Amino acid sequence: MSALSRGAARGAAPDTEGTRARPARDGIRDALAVIAAYVPFGLALGATLAATSVDPVVAWSSSFLVFAGAAQLVAVQLLDDGALPVIVVLTALVVNSRHLLYSASLAVHTRDWSRGWRAGGAYFLADPVYALAIARFEGREREDGAARLRYYVAMALTCWGGWLLLTAAGILLGGLLPATLPLELAAPLTFLLLLIPTLKSRATWAAAVAAGGTATLAAPLPLGLGLLLAAAVGMAAGAITERMSHA
Amino acid sequence: MRDLIVLAVVGAGTYALRAAFLLTADARPPALLERFLPYVAPAVLAAIAVPGLLAPRGIVSVGETLPAVVAAAVTWLLWARFKQLPVALIGGLALWWLLEAVTP
Repeated sequence: MSALSRGAARGAAPDTEGTRARPARDGIRDALAVIAAYVPFGLALGATLAATSVDPVVAWSSSFLVFAGAAQLVAVQLLDDGALPVIVVLTALVVNSRHLLYSASLAVHTRDWSRGWRAGGAYFLADPVYALAIARFEGREREDGAARLRYYVAMALTCWGGWLLLTAAGILLGGLLPATLPLELAAPLTFLLLLIPTLKSRATWAAAVAAGGTATLAAPLPLGLGLLLAAAVGMAAGAITERMSHA
Repeated sequence: MRDLIVLAVVGAGTYALRAAFLLTADARPPALLERFLPYVAPAVLAAIAVPGLLAPRGIVSVGETLPAVVAAAVTWLLWARFKQLPVALIGGLALWWLLEAVTP
């Protein structure tokens, strides 16, 4: 069992791998914990979207059209600035290019799903959905494809519904959020909590330290390119550390 | 209407990025790429989290960085102790507010 799901399971009846496993219930439970952690970030994002000149319903529709917080923010703010559509699309897609890596990483675990389920599942592959799915699948090598699918569908739909509600609440309540409560740290702390369960070895630690350091130094780069560079440096650091520990 | 179309195109492009490898799952990813895939999650999540923790408002300075790093460390400790995401997040965020309020 992954650290993340073990954590969320505290207080629930013990479920063991095998006959008593309840993957759909686990998925909903893990997703609800993540949604609760996303409340400050989701509300702040909704409030920021509402403060633009873009129609609030159109801005909110990015929650189901795009389903990726950072890209929604960038796209709506660029539309607000009156940027050319092609610039808006290219910028948002560069910000979202990490999802290509998520796709490659998750594909290892979805080979026994039907093409239809893989096509549907891809729509939900946002940051928290990927983080929860990979923590679960890497922690339970023996879980079969049908159980993995039940976990993924239940978890992804719960995250999705939660995100639509949270961003809608942020747009509706935007002006009412107390300005004295700064929320800048909410998103980094949420991502820190998604990161911790992935730190399972020296190689994963090396990847995280190298990527975190690179991203901080490369933060001034435009278009979120610092994130891409940092991801590449981190993945290389992980692979090199892994190779050295086998040498 | 124009804004909605632009957002729909962003959504379609994002879907293509997410589906790219899931829909070609029968073909294994290139061997070179496969060695790097186990590090996608720690690398990308750290690349998103760490700059925001060291400089929550884009500036690295003692007054900005120290409260955020202390709040991050406490968030981690709360997670290790209670294994509850909301408890860890709210605890860390509340401590940050407190530290921000007492630092000039």
